[in-house]
Amino acid sequence: MKINKLLLATLVAVYGLVPLLLGGDAYVMSLVIASLVIGGIALSWALLGNLGGMVSFGHAAFFGVGAYTSAVLTMQYGLPVFLGILVGGLGAIVAAITMLPVLRLRGPYFALAILAYAHIFRIVATEWSSVTGGSAGISSIPRLPTLFGFDFASKTGNYLVILTIVLVFALIYDRIRRSPHGLALSAMHDSEDATRVVGVNNTLLKGLMLVVSSFMCGVVGAFNAHYINFLEPDYAFSALWVTIPIVAAIFGGYRTITGPLVGAVVVYLVDQLFVKNIMPTGHQLVLGLVLVVMIIASPDGLLGLVRKFMRKKDAAA
Amino acid sequence: MTDLILQAVYSGLLQGGSYALIALGLALVFGAMKVINLAHGELVLLAAYVAYTVESRLGWNPLAAIPVAVTLVTITSALLYFVVSKIKTNREINSLTLTYGIGVILTNLVLMIWSADVRATTSSWMQEPFVIGELYSMRSEVLFFGVSLVLMGALWWWLSRSWYGRAVRAVSSNRDAAKLMGINPGYTELVSFVVAGILAAFAGIALFSYGVITPAYGGVLTVKAFIITVLAGIGSIPGVLIGAILLGVAESLTVTLASSALQELAGMGLFLLVLFLMPNGLFGNAGRRG
Repeated sequence: MKINKLLLATLVAVYGLVPLLLGGDAYVMSLVIASLVIGGIALSWALLGNLGGMVSFGHAAFFGVGAYTSAVLTMQYGLPVFLGILVGGLGAIVAAITMLPVLRLRGPYFALAILAYAHIFRIVATEWSSVTGGSAGISSIPRLPTLFGFDFASKTGNYLVILTIVLVFALIYDRIRRSPHGLALSAMHDSEDATRVVGVNNTLLKGLMLVVSSFMCGVVGAFNAHYINFLEPDYAFSALWVTIPIVAAIFGGYRTITGPLVGAVVVYLVDQLFVKNIMPTGHQLVLGLVLVVMIIASPDGLLGLVRKFMRKKDAAA
Repeated sequence: MTDLILQAVYSGLLQGGSYALIALGLALVFGAMKVINLAHGELVLLAAYVAYTVESRLGWNPLAAIPVAVTLVTITSALLYFVVSKIKTNREINSLTLTYGIGVILTNLVLMIWSADVRATTSSWMQEPFVIGELYSMRSEVLFFGVSLVLMGALWWWLSRSWYGRAVRAVSSNRDAAKLMGINPGYTELVSFVVAGILAAFAGIALFSYGVITPAYGGVLTVKAFIITVLAGIGSIPGVLIGAILLGVAESLTVTLASSALQELAGMGLFLLVLFLMPNGLFGNAGRRG
């Protein structure tokens, strides 16, 4: 029961203490919210990478499609914002469905094909200007509403919403991993052919993981659109929405659930608070460097490294 | 209208030469090492920016940049090999994230050194019109199409006749058997990276001589090279050339008939079409399906 107590303490801390202690400082809160946005994408990326065994460089597509879907529907059709965020996730699922033929491709081919898709969606968002506002973008996207007397558009409100979104996703991820599907998926890593022989529909499962991952990423994108109230194609489909989450997930350990989230908070805060001050242009260089070093030194992430170290210590004691 | 279409096909054909060089480099490394080098487009870009520096600083023709660009890009490519070869587990997947990271590093290095401005050649010698009958092009386009044909010929000779070239092919087709025949796979992989670097350097100078370059262009080039390998498979040099020309023609036709903003979409359309109708590529190369 040690774990449950720890979980409870963490929940109290993130829901209660963080807004109480930092809530007054708008700058710090905006950093925390942004790092949770990154964490949400990192989680959805890691789900696809860990359970689905697929490396994606195209998550910017889901992020952007989710953002645009929600922004357009709430502005032009008056959809309530919270519903819009959910529908944004559905929009990303539609984007994922157009990618399904790519599942025929293996490993590296899949990764590049999905990158190519991200380019398509960016071009579509730029060119379909009657709906998306073209390269000029959309401004004054509605904020989160005030519900039950609580203003969700405040920094604290936004924080609580994105925190809840990310935690619910972590829960869903955990459920999938523990389900029989999770077992089948992890067996698929060891031998795709063997799992196929015992009657597992690989392609269907992989497709499902792509759909779940895209939904998560789309919801986070939609939230972000209502949080910053502005969208343009180069922002919504920026490669940054891929790079930082990948670095975060690899840094924290993409085979765990907490890894990508912890990684996102650490990587984003270090990047914004320190690296960006030292190198105003090209500070992503450091992100690339972290990625390279992590892959070579410890592909299982820092958390994996720590765990390995702890196990050794336990064995010694 | 036919004139315009003919002209577009011709321009696309010329563009295909450089595309083929880039795609061949990507395919060569993939064949030898089963690694898709996501930083390959950045290598091309590096050569392009070296050409820009030589032209803007020294006032020389971009062609004079060839020795420096080839040396620099080859060294970078070899370094890339050493980093990739350090991967211990699950190379196929980990190398993707690794080379993606290197791509990010290179893009940002280019950004820091040369800034985000759009660059193009100012050499009038390169931009001199070159007219065959009704068809118009710049001198640089024809020149570099010729250069890429020569390089492809050399590559073909190297792969089929020379010892190292055959070693690269042997490792591609069966690593263990090649080892038993006394071929050092590690060394062969290094050679494939070096040759890919040389091809990338020439392609980079070509792109600078007749087009515009920006730091973000590297990623686009990697995707294009990849699309070509999906179209053609990675088996043969003529196949890759045809795939590259197809992509070039599709792009320039889109620019002529629709708009230049949709240029990238043309390649994607072609890519998806082939993926749906002929999942093994135009020339049937099995092995990439799941």
